[in-house]
Amino acid sequence: MLWVDKYRPKSLDKVLVHEDVAQNLKKLVTEQDCPHLLFYGPSGSGKKTLIMALLRQMFGASAEKVKVENKTWKVDAGSRTIDLELTTLSSTHHVELNPSDAGFQDRYIVQEIIKEMAKNRPIDVKGKKGFKVLVLNEVDKLSREAQHSLRRTMEKYSASCRLILCCDSSSKVTEAVRSRCLNVRISAPKEDQIVKVLEFIGKKEGLQLPPGFAARIAEKSGRSLRRAILSFETCRVQQYPFTNNQVIPPMDWEEYVSEIAADIMKEQSPKRLFQVRGKLYELLVNCIPPEVILKRLLQELLKKLDSELKHEVCHWAAYYEHRMRLGQKAIFHIEAFVAKFMSIYKGFLIATFG
Amino acid sequence: MGKRETIVLSSSDDDGDCNDNDFASKSILKYFKKPKSGAASVPRTNTKGPIPKKARISSSRSHPGKSSNPFDEMKEFCEDFGEGFTGFKVSAGHKRDNKELWVDKYKPRSLVDLSVHKKKVEEVKIWLEERIKTKNNNHYNHVLVITGLPGVGKSATVEAIASHLGVTIYEWNTPTPTIWQEHIHTTNAGLRYMSKLDEFENFVEKIRKYGLISSSLTKEPQKKPFLILIDDLPVTNGKISYDYGRSDTADYTSRCWEELQTSLQNAGAFKVAFNPITPNSITKMLSRICREEKLKTKAEQIDAIAKASGGDIRNAITSLQYFNLKSNSKGISVNSNCLDDGYSLSCGRDETLSLFHALGKFLHNKRETENVTASDSLKEEFTRLPMKMDVPEKVLGQAHGQARPIADFLHENVLDFVEEEGIDDAWVVASYLSDADSLLASLNGIRSRSYEAENLIQSTAASVAVRGVMFGNRHPLSSRWHAIRRPVMWQVEQSQWRNKKEMIGERCVGGYNGVSLSDLSVIATEWKPVSKWLGGSMVDNNDCDLDHFEEICDDDEDEIEDW
Repeated sequence: MLWVDKYRPKSLDKVLVHEDVAQNLKKLVTEQDCPHLLFYGPSGSGKKTLIMALLRQMFGASAEKVKVENKTWKVDAGSRTIDLELTTLSSTHHVELNPSDAGFQDRYIVQEIIKEMAKNRPIDVKGKKGFKVLVLNEVDKLSREAQHSLRRTMEKYSASCRLILCCDSSSKVTEAVRSRCLNVRISAPKEDQIVKVLEFIGKKEGLQLPPGFAARIAEKSGRSLRRAILSFETCRVQQYPFTNNQVIPPMDWEEYVSEIAADIMKEQSPKRLFQVRGKLYELLVNCIPPEVILKRLLQELLKKLDSELKHEVCHWAAYYEHRMRLGQKAIFHIEAFVAKFMSIYKGFLIATFG
Repeated sequence: MGKRETIVLSSSDDDGDCNDNDFASKSILKYFKKPKSGAASVPRTNTKGPIPKKARISSSRSHPGKSSNPFDEMKEFCEDFGEGFTGFKVSAGHKRDNKELWVDKYKPRSLVDLSVHKKKVEEVKIWLEERIKTKNNNHYNHVLVITGLPGVGKSATVEAIASHLGVTIYEWNTPTPTIWQEHIHTTNAGLRYMSKLDEFENFVEKIRKYGLISSSLTKEPQKKPFLILIDDLPVTNGKISYDYGRSDTADYTSRCWEELQTSLQNAGAFKVAFNPITPNSITKMLSRICREEKLKTKAEQIDAIAKASGGDIRNAITSLQYFNLKSNSKGISVNSNCLDDGYSLSCGRDETLSLFHALGKFLHNKRETENVTASDSLKEEFTRLPMKMDVPEKVLGQAHGQARPIADFLHENVLDFVEEEGIDDAWVVASYLSDADSLLASLNGIRSRSYEAENLIQSTAASVAVRGVMFGNRHPLSSRWHAIRRPVMWQVEQSQWRNKKEMIGERCVGGYNGVSLSDLSVIATEWKPVSKWLGGSMVDNNDCDLDHFEEICDDDEDEIEDW
């Protein structure tokens, strides 16, 4: 088992970061009046961990007895029937799913499948009418139509079911949905909190941590706890006992992106642009999200860039990131950004060095 | 070559009379046809048995120099005359002095008259000569398939060559397919249904016997070679023509046609493909006709017609006739000014382009370089030389270009055409393509609501992509040969989709230890790399979840191979 899983806090009492949020949540469910919840915050901040602990708090250990189902749903969409494949994870009390997997057909999932699930309420052992919990991941990736349908579902079935929504950024969730939920913001853990967690794991594993080593990992992690723990474990595999100058291995795709950045800085020509395109394709094939690629690429480029240009480059990166969301094929937009960067940088080089 | 046939055919000669009748009618009624194949001098009609619906067979029959049967002889003579000189397609009804169609009137009489490329003519001629000269029968490929667009002179070539070599042509007249209701009706009326295949066999049989009789009667060893011509080969097969009428999908018919062609070729048929006739040849031909008709058609008008015909000479000649008809009635004054304003287009064909042709035009981006007047209204950075082509939208229309594939193809290929120094140009191009993509994506929401909006956005996006590419690439590379690649993106998207599917399957295993689902991006950016990194060494540290890990590791290895 990976350490991220092994040392994941199982209950709300045991969490090491966001203790205050955990306590509030605990109070919320013990009072038996649980509203719809929207968890948002950056990746690696502990949203899922809190949700799982919350479910356990609500339903006890049975919430952990889950089964994975990969089912094809037949949805009647007016004139034709659509087959939708959907992976769900369900216990007797809750169902977890990623509606955005269906891409542009996501609204059918929300309209038909979720409605179907929400309708069937479980009967409690004591004959009391309980409620069912639906955990929806990546709500921010849902299309506008799907989010509107979601709003209807939330109102209509609020008696029998509770929704727990989870997403990275609440800005992509419509106002209507946000106002119907209790918004829980899970901020990225501070570096000293990460260090605390790493030290805790180190102690449990019986490892000797040289001073400052945990801090270095925390710094490299970009305040993502998951990322920090994963790197910690890779470091452990790579070299133990730890030394203070030990390299913290980056992810392979990150290395690849910095290679691309180096390529771009070295030469600015259509031919090079074409080569860069090939490398970007390779990242995309491996399902690295295009936004992540663009963001990382910008970071790498900024590292080596004259501060004079930074502002303009950031502007264009933001511009094309927005374009990318409006558009369909990410490569068009990433490539346009690379071309723009090359053009700016080349102009700068000519102006400076003649 | 005649001797053997004599033996074969002599068994039944009583059919002669009805053969004659059939012949007469058939040789008069001719249709335009697409592919045809002719074979000469082969008596063994049935060698092609297995593909009878498609192939036509040639047989030779002996030609009676002087037949003992005067009636036959007369018939034949008429036929020969008709074939050799008057041209097949003139039926009696159309022969009114001056009203004759020029297409028929100026049908090529000899090889010199043909506008078809010399090489192709030569190819067909040599093939035919070989078949005639070879006395023995060990040629098994008696079938020649000639393909080409309508009006490129396939029939004319065969006929001209045949008359040059003294070969008589018999033409199989494609029968109308019998539909079921009709069949019921005729059966009730007491008529027996005859399969088209049988009909064809009878036809061939008749030709054989006919030739035989005459030769056996005249005792003349010299036989004239014969050639059976089947036009409209795709329609020859009743099923295809039937389906064609119904489903009307070009795809289907073209696929059938492909199949037919390959099966013919597999059976040993020789294929000659005719290209569209060059505008120059058409112009030459048209000028000749004008001279002979003593018309004063201007050279530019002839050029315009030739260009508009798209390599279809039949169409060009008809257009010319029509054109002159009109201008005669209106007087010469009309004739002179009608040229530039689309009049000449009214009698041309609609030009179509292949997608690749259109892409080539956009990418090569040829511009006028002479006699350019600079316009004052635009800043210099926005001015471009005039395009050496039609309006991009028109070209798009001709190529039936869909916005999405056009944008993809342009994106894939455009960088090859940007000069080495032109990174700024590359950016402008890329930004326009990004615009086009955004426009296309905006379709997703509205698709179900309004077709009109969809159409508008589609064409706008295509315009933006094409014009963006042409505007952005300020100094296109001097034209050299570039292969246009298929967008790699399509392949990338497919494997991306496959990998994503795989990850969806894995997301319950990887991450959260099966208790929760993780986001795909997390799997892709963190789980996969880490488990790849940890690889085999992870196994030692593991207690209970070994299985899960091995699974993940296995998957990773597979994926590395995929890269």
